[in-house]
Amino acid sequence: MNNQEYDDLVKSIVKNENPLKNILIAFFSGGCVGLLTELIINILLKTFSITLNQAYFYSFAIWVFIGSLLTGLGFFDNLLSICKCGLIVPSTGFANSMTSSAMDTRFEGFIKGIGSSIFKLTGSIILYGIIFGIIFGFVRGVLL
Amino acid sequence: MIYYFKNVFINSKYTLLGSEKYNPIVTDNVDKLLNDYYIREKTIELAESKYQYYSIQGLLLKNSLVSKDIDLLINGDLQNQILASTLAASKANIPTIGIYSACASFVEGLCIGSMFLNKEKGKIIVTTSSHNLVSEKQFRFPVEYGSIRKKCNTCTATGSVSALLTNEKSNIRIESATIGKVIQTNHKDTNDMGSAMAPSCAEVIYKHLLETKRESDYYDLILTGDLGEFGIKIVLEYLNRKYDMTFNNVIDSGSIFYKEKNIYAGASGPICLPLVLFDYILPLKKYKKILIVATGSLHSSISSNLKIPMPGISHAISLEVSY
Repeated sequence: MNNQEYDDLVKSIVKNENPLKNILIAFFSGGCVGLLTELIINILLKTFSITLNQAYFYSFAIWVFIGSLLTGLGFFDNLLSICKCGLIVPSTGFANSMTSSAMDTRFEGFIKGIGSSIFKLTGSIILYGIIFGIIFGFVRGVLL
Repeated sequence: MIYYFKNVFINSKYTLLGSEKYNPIVTDNVDKLLNDYYIREKTIELAESKYQYYSIQGLLLKNSLVSKDIDLLINGDLQNQILASTLAASKANIPTIGIYSACASFVEGLCIGSMFLNKEKGKIIVTTSSHNLVSEKQFRFPVEYGSIRKKCNTCTATGSVSALLTNEKSNIRIESATIGKVIQTNHKDTNDMGSAMAPSCAEVIYKHLLETKRESDYYDLILTGDLGEFGIKIVLEYLNRKYDMTFNNVIDSGSIFYKEKNIYAGASGPICLPLVLFDYILPLKKYKKILIVATGSLHSSISSNLKIPMPGISHAISLEVSY
């Protein structure tokens, strides 16, 4: 039996989850997060005298806080198995990956443990976020 | 190559289950149930080494032995540089061989121990341990990280198992052993370890039966390691297609380990096979000739990042049990 035949055998036996169902769940759970964010922004705008841009920033920070808190209390991964990607794509997912990496290495010291591994999973988001931010900023500001 | 043993016996076992999560099938029969991931240790790595130390001490106490009576300790686990085994061995004060072949470590230890005892008389302890959170951290993602899991994912069992090997007669005799080859296919998905281990498992079963000139129904039971519910189907189909052999006597310990349904593809870890063997299969008093085939996937986080196909290894041991 060569590798190709073996791959076909594996494909015929191993079952995967239905992606359509997961996509639909993520669509609705992500939508709920978006709806809540709108609510938070409106409350912030009415209660405090801040601009819309500031309200966006604060709502983002609130989600990061909620994501980190739920991760620390140990609920986030259970919640995610129900909500699927609807909780990863918003900033809660970002907060979760940073907090979980930090929690894993908290006994390895502040420098070699938490400091070096807090960006283990999110480092690539930050790096490529900055690179593409510069590229598209250049396209928008200079070329267009 | 096949190795026959004249008078090597498993005299005693000590099993420790570290977590009752998902309701393991062996819960009622284990020697010690802790249901605690930390057992008053600072980190999970230290907790795993404590599990192993507890199981070695428990085995010694159970048989009224002291560490001086033991000639050799063979132990292994899943951590980097087998840290849990090293720490447990440093406390146990017994000459030690540390081994690693992922989830096949326990049977590899039995093979090595039996080869020693076949030449000279002595007492050997074989120990292995695994910890759910440590394996998550080591091979997958950080513990609290919310990753979406596939159906073919397995859930590592937590605990430790020790067995005492001697030349004194008991009801479990180690009859022969076959050491397997490392087999690498083109499979790269680290979520699906069953498919990576299946070819080596099938090959070692075939090789064992060929070299001992036995038929597929010679054994009352062939107990495989932690292939999971898809992996075991692949093994049976592989044997059928390549060697035209059919089996009705194969049980996979990983797929029966959790009583709760829908826990991915089943359990994994080096303790999975010995726990099911000692605390579920043997108390049934049903099977006399048992072939245990432990399977291990020898990938690491570096090899999976480098996109190296996952190598798999399996070892088989034939047991003769009298009740």
